[in-house]
Amino acid sequence: MIAYLTAIATLVGVRALVTLGLNVQWGLTGLVNLGVVAFFAVGAYTSALLSVTGAPLAAAWPAAIALAALAGAGLAMVALRLREDYLAIVTLGFAEVLRLFLLNEAWLTRGANGVTAIPRPLHARFAGYYDLFYLALVLAAVGLVYLALERLRRSPFGRVLRAIREDETVAAVAGKPVFRFKVQAFALGAGVAGLAGTLFAHYLAYVEPNMFLPQESLFVWLALILGGSGNNRGALLGSAVLLGLLEGSRFLKDVIPFLTGVRLAAAQQIFVGIVLVVLMIRRPEGLLPERPVSD
Amino acid sequence: MPPLAQYVFNGLVTGGILALPAVAFSLLWRLLRFPNFAVSTYLTVGAYVALMLNQGLRVPLGLAWLGALVGTGAVALAVDRVAFRPMRERRPFSLAIASIGVAFVLENVVRFIWSNDFRSYDVPVTRALSVVGLRIGRDQLLILGVAVALMALAQALLLRTRLGIAMRATADNPLLAAVKGVPTEKVISVATLGGGALAGGAGVFLGLDASIDPLMGTGLIISVFAAAILGGVGSAPGALFGALIVGIVEEAGTLVVPPTYKTAIGFVIILVVLLVRPTGLAGARA
Repeated sequence: MIAYLTAIATLVGVRALVTLGLNVQWGLTGLVNLGVVAFFAVGAYTSALLSVTGAPLAAAWPAAIALAALAGAGLAMVALRLREDYLAIVTLGFAEVLRLFLLNEAWLTRGANGVTAIPRPLHARFAGYYDLFYLALVLAAVGLVYLALERLRRSPFGRVLRAIREDETVAAVAGKPVFRFKVQAFALGAGVAGLAGTLFAHYLAYVEPNMFLPQESLFVWLALILGGSGNNRGALLGSAVLLGLLEGSRFLKDVIPFLTGVRLAAAQQIFVGIVLVVLMIRRPEGLLPERPVSD
Repeated sequence: MPPLAQYVFNGLVTGGILALPAVAFSLLWRLLRFPNFAVSTYLTVGAYVALMLNQGLRVPLGLAWLGALVGTGAVALAVDRVAFRPMRERRPFSLAIASIGVAFVLENVVRFIWSNDFRSYDVPVTRALSVVGLRIGRDQLLILGVAVALMALAQALLLRTRLGIAMRATADNPLLAAVKGVPTEKVISVATLGGGALAGGAGVFLGLDASIDPLMGTGLIISVFAAAILGGVGSAPGALFGALIVGIVEEAGTLVVPPTYKTAIGFVIILVVLLVRPTGLAGARA
């Protein structure tokens, strides 16, 4: 039971990081990213592939985060010239194309077999209670990113991002280089998602393309909107509640006899979809609405 | 290896199927001002409605196809009432996200009932025709013919009838149209019903041309967008034209890149159009 709870808490931490990343993009700046899972995947794969070829983690992790951020900046430079509804489509398409790439370019990504035997950091030193150590590592990362993003939100940079979200024409008239700020925000969010990806890959010691299905982006959105977008605490709460709901409903299989694996997964996803739609209609501000920043 | 012309013909058929949801998507986008991600999932709904009639009740596929039109139209209308109508005044992105939620629910309802297995309709097997070295299925000819006829019908309705005029007026300026006495909500309902029916009918075609599984419609989402954007959002002939081009490029493109990258081809088309000519080839105002 302890092992199970540790595993769940670790995954909540990883999800919380992705949600914090999306919160920079959407919650703070108002940039749509329906393909947030792509940056998570870039982080996971870069770090996994570098470290299985023998690169030290101290090099692989920063490289993974940097590449995720770079991918974010690149996509943003192309896509942010477009209107919001086009941006939704382009980011969604990007994530799907990236997944196809992971699946088909086996020479680089090992294709559908995935990357196995990804080294786990400091495994020998913490043998016996490694999962607890890793949980602490993930929670430390969440804590640090949370604090950094809270500072950022209140900083002049964060103020500009919020201004862009509310009315980018006004921000532009006030002399802010709106496009540059948007690209920076998008890259920063992608980098945070990339960090989550590296932690994920080295926790499971295994990654494969179907871990990064488009629906994973939807889960991140649900967590963010559930918790309260624009609010970093909301991002944390939303991730915990969402995984609680998903994991909790897993036990339904023991209670309801005819529920097969496929049916259970389908029922879970129906539930997720309905919650998302109802939230969008009834409570778009989430459980913890964003409060005005007192600077 | 089959000649290039075979790929072009197959692409035309794919494009004909794609044209139906592309027109629905394009018109609904123009009318309601948000990209409705559920439209491509309506293909799945239509395919399974017909499957239920065809396999469960032993209805011939022609009738089952009509059933799919009605059934999917009704599903689309119900979705609009429950999910989109309460959010009419919100910013487009909220509606787009809600539409993804809807797509997710519909796809998984199908999966819950029918599981992930691939299925096919109960139809007599016919020999493909051989014309100047091309393999041409009778189904394919039928699909292409019906798709083009449906597009012509949609265009005629839009241009000639009072309802079509009301629809275009609402798309141009909902407030002005409402002030002038156009029953906006009624127009939206009719467009949703018609759009759902078109997509549902296309789903049966897709099931006939390829196979039926819960992901069949959702997997087309990028191609549908590509067709709509290529044709210029809001233009029915544009969407037909865009769909045919996307269909042909995706099929012929498999000569150059592996077939698994079909979706990527659609994505590249979207990027190129948006960057080079964001109004689409038909030049409709987006």
